[in-house]
Amino acid sequence: MAWEGNVARGAGHISADTGAFSDLPFSLATRIGAAEGRTSPEELLAAAHGGCITMSVASELTQAGTPPQRLDATTVVRMDDVEGRGHQIVKSTVTMRARVPGADESAFARAVETGDEGCPFSTLLRNAGVDVVVNAELEEE
Amino acid sequence: MATDRRAEVTWNGSLMEGSGTIRSTTSGAIGEQAVTWASRAEDPAGRTSPEELIAAAHAACFSMALSNGLAQQGSAPEELQTSATVTFQPGEGITKIMLTVTGRVPGVDEEAFRRAAEDAKENCPVSKALASVPEITLDAHLAT
Repeated sequence: MAWEGNVARGAGHISADTGAFSDLPFSLATRIGAAEGRTSPEELLAAAHGGCITMSVASELTQAGTPPQRLDATTVVRMDDVEGRGHQIVKSTVTMRARVPGADESAFARAVETGDEGCPFSTLLRNAGVDVVVNAELEEE
Repeated sequence: MATDRRAEVTWNGSLMEGSGTIRSTTSGAIGEQAVTWASRAEDPAGRTSPEELIAAAHAACFSMALSNGLAQQGSAPEELQTSATVTFQPGEGITKIMLTVTGRVPGVDEEAFRRAAEDAKENCPVSKALASVPEITLDAHLAT
């Protein structure tokens, strides 16, 4: 990760150790304004949270004997300027749609709840006072 | 003003044999990324993981906060090279984050740089969100 210049007009680049992505540009203007094709810490956290919670729910469903055919999760991470505390990550909202052969509504709801509790990133966010909201819906087979 | 950033993820199958895809994000900058349990907990084989994305987010956030702190002291950095390493322990979660930063900052001594880096580590929004990680370390130096 490299950053050049001051925060308002400077810009940085992010690369991953695994090589999965490299030299992604980011800046303050595109972090708090329109993204204009640039990623931001909060966007990366949204991707991380989506990956974490789908794996965790898949694990719970598998343990219940009904591995998911498909889990689709949309995660939105919100940053806000909180009075007296500056910019804070205030909320992460996960909306999940699932296709799970053999699971009924209540078994699915349990797996989502336990999966959310078992996702380390959900726990870290809640411990920090971030509002974590998970909505999940089972699709008709 | 609040800022929202979105990511779309699909997972297929069981945890151990299945796999997932980060399909898209608000900016489109990340592109499609495959994720698997093995890439998260064992050999990454070129694939990313939630923890690697958290590392990228933390390094980026920390760098912006440090750049801002230094600029407010009248010494904006020429360059900050930051790395964040997130340790994931299956069954336990995220147990450690190691931040290292090397700065080229005209007009700042090692002690003032370290103080500014410590402040960024405590106060950047991602650090705040990750505050309950058991151990977050910082190694901050000026480039020689």
